[in-house]
Amino acid sequence: MHTIRRTITNEIRRLRFEHGEMTQQQLAEKIHVTRQTVNAIEQGKYSPSLEAAFRIAAVFGVPLESVFHYSSDE
Amino acid sequence: MSFREKSAWISLLTMAGIYGLYFWSVIHDGPQVGRFHFGKLLGTIIALVVVQIVLHITVAIFAPAEAKAPRDERDKLIELRAMRVAYSGLATAVAFACFFGALNPPIVFNTNALLFILVTTEIMRSACQIIQYRRGA
Repeated sequence: MHTIRRTITNEIRRLRFEHGEMTQQQLAEKIHVTRQTVNAIEQGKYSPSLEAAFRIAAVFGVPLESVFHYSSDE
Repeated sequence: MSFREKSAWISLLTMAGIYGLYFWSVIHDGPQVGRFHFGKLLGTIIALVVVQIVLHITVAIFAPAEAKAPRDERDKLIELRAMRVAYSGLATAVAFACFFGALNPPIVFNTNALLFILVTTEIMRSACQIIQYRRGA
């Protein structure tokens, strides 16, 4: 049986670094979540809501697809 | 560790510890038909509330900003998932209790069995929250 693998990766760590080495805590405060949630998103363990994803993109001033990438082996 | 995770640990440990003592004491006393240990249960509930409040205040003193912050979307999702698991356990346990209740056990046994189910459900909920926080979500 063929299992379709879907993954969502993100560029948050790189974007934080490029934005004055913004800390996870600073990003968390800007998007109204906890630091632990930012960490979970960054590590790909938690997929944020669409609203939170847009907020993250807005913080970095880039489009959503520059922050999150979706891929599947279909 | 976030404040919410610490709160789940407090709930798990205090429920298991304090209600554990209550049930151990009830079992130790043996079946006493018609005599529900109301005083003992009241003492247990008061002890639980006091210990949980003291521990939450202590944790909040060390991280006041986190304690004041509202639950975020991940906290809510984790809570919902934990509730779903705990509800399944509760429904199964209540079904067994109904079946066992039909066998006419002493009322005091039924009351303690229902209390045990409620406590176990709450422990299961906290445990599920902790597991999800540990995994990342």
